Amino acid sequence: MKRFLETGNFAIAEGAIIAGCRFFAGYPITPATELAESMSLRLPQVGGVYLQAEDECAAMHLCIGASLGGMKAMTATSGPGFILYADPYGWALGCEMPMVVLNSGRVGPVSGITGAPGQGEFYNTRYPTQGGNFECVVLAPNSAQEAMAMVIEAFYLSERLRMPVTILADQLITDGWEDISIPETEAEMKEMGYRFQPRKFHPGPDFYPATDALDIPPVQMGKNTGGLCSDWTPTEQGYDIEEVEDHHKHAYRLIYKVRNNRQLFNHHYEKKYMDDDPDLVVVSYGTPSRVVNTAVGRARSQGMKVGALRLINLWPFPDEHFTRKAKYLAVELNWDGQLVREMQRAVSHDSEVHFFGICGDLPTNKDLLETFDKILKDQPLQRKGWEWEAW
Amino acid sequence: MELSASKLIEEYLRPRKIPSTACAGCGLGMNHKVVIQAFKELGLSTAEVIWGTSIGCAGRQTFATFKGDGFAGTHGRAYAIARGLRIALPPEKKIVLSVGDGDAFGIGLLHLIHAARVNADITVIVHDNLGYQSTGGQFGFTTPMGVKTDSSPYGMFEPNLMSAGMDVMHILKGAGATFLARQVVLADGFEAVASVKKAILNRGFSLVHMPHPCVTNFAMKHLGSRVPVEIFRWFKKHTAPLGQETPETIWATGIWHDASNSRPEFSELVWGATERIRRTGTL
Repeated sequence: MKRFLETGNFAIAEGAIIAGCRFFAGYPITPATELAESMSLRLPQVGGVYLQAEDECAAMHLCIGASLGGMKAMTATSGPGFILYADPYGWALGCEMPMVVLNSGRVGPVSGITGAPGQGEFYNTRYPTQGGNFECVVLAPNSAQEAMAMVIEAFYLSERLRMPVTILADQLITDGWEDISIPETEAEMKEMGYRFQPRKFHPGPDFYPATDALDIPPVQMGKNTGGLCSDWTPTEQGYDIEEVEDHHKHAYRLIYKVRNNRQLFNHHYEKKYMDDDPDLVVVSYGTPSRVVNTAVGRARSQGMKVGALRLINLWPFPDEHFTRKAKYLAVELNWDGQLVREMQRAVSHDSEVHFFGICGDLPTNKDLLETFDKILKDQPLQRKGWEWEAW
Repeated sequence: MELSASKLIEEYLRPRKIPSTACAGCGLGMNHKVVIQAFKELGLSTAEVIWGTSIGCAGRQTFATFKGDGFAGTHGRAYAIARGLRIALPPEKKIVLSVGDGDAFGIGLLHLIHAARVNADITVIVHDNLGYQSTGGQFGFTTPMGVKTDSSPYGMFEPNLMSAGMDVMHILKGAGATFLARQVVLADGFEAVASVKKAILNRGFSLVHMPHPCVTNFAMKHLGSRVPVEIFRWFKKHTAPLGQETPETIWATGIWHDASNSRPEFSELVWGATERIRRTGTL
């Protein structure tokens, strides 16, 4: 085990290399630039290739090409670049091409504030492309160490599910400096819970089963299998035919290979003070969860019956955590409220859902404790907040 | 030249996709045959070529026609996909992209220029049907001046990538392409095959621009006739070999730029650098 005081970007690069990533294409953007820089330094040392693309759209298409040729590929960006992934993300979903995408959130909309954390990409990562008829897998770490683990996990999931997987981080995770332990031996990696799946290729050309089965390898070019891969409806023959029934089979696979295999990743959450069915469940993901955990601990010592639920697997949204009747509070780094909307959908009808939004900075313990107290006492929040009923 | 198309089809194309879904009288089939003929004359087997396509008539009608491995990219992005694929594939595999004018010179021009910049070993065949014909016939960036289309009802007046002194070939040459040719197959098919062969043999970025007639949309709107011979005659009238242009010439055909194998190829360069850094820690 090697220990470093380094940035999240550094940890993510090391995680990708451990996962077998040997191709990275990127475009400079704060706060994901240092990941591209780390990759440009580290990949050639391990026999991999770093390419700087002309834009983010090209960056993810370069990853598609490399993955189509059998390499494990990754790209990283922030919100303004993530929207340029819309085109290739759709292709990678439709053609079932494994790769890992990292989105480090800053303050939006548009260029917004580059060097401050934001969580405005909650829905954007669920619908990264147009057209619907697909599910997405999104993982949200809350530390540099966990970001490294989640990149390795994302490569594992992307190979098994045959699809791109997104890591949703934020500026504090990628740019922040933390104590990072990097395993060096297989035993250490196993101990840290890392899972690996090597790239295989499908013998084709009957490459498109309408099934939710895992572990179907992707199509690969250059193996002379007659493999076909296109943005059109794939059929058993791989031809462009525009038939609704065939397209429905295609969509079935894209949706249900994820929905029916939730056991692969539905253990990705963290619960604190949740064993005694607390009156108020504080829900968060990413960096703000670290403040939430502290605030909930303090609230407990003050006698408030509060628990903390941190989501790591964001999409498909883990509805199973919201079945119990309780008060729920979403703490997220945006002012419009995104996670809170999904919670509102997931809770039972007689549960209350509240919203605490801050952007560009983390919440303070003081503000959170005050909010918990008011919600528990059924008092109106000092912040105008999220008034779903009135909305 | 192999005069029997059926023999070529048997060897290189998927029978279920041929005859293609292109309109009767479309020039795409001639272009398609020229490319396959070049494979045959170079002795390339289906195992040695990756066939990439994109969106539009050229993409849709030629995707999955090739018996070997094939992919279709999103609109204009096949050049970025091909660059990534070039890194992952062994150098002896050829990547041939069969794309349209809107794809290459419209939405994908940025990616095309960057593929030329790095001299990636990709052969781009641009089947130019003079506009966006699969969406009904709107003008593109190579539609000749004055031509009426569904979106230029008063005639083309905006400068484009075929305007005097602004030819797309100059842009690509300046960007670093190492082989560039323009051929009109119905004017000289043998020359077209020869250019495609040279393009494939160049270990670097090659592009062959092959304008071809669209009978259904372009000819109907511009010439008022869907009789193929009308548009064929119009094409011939406006085609001349480079150096023999007349005032009527729109397409000057021949080899525009041949610097084959004069610059390091992209994937060789990248893998060479990677290998040196891996072994010695420096370039």
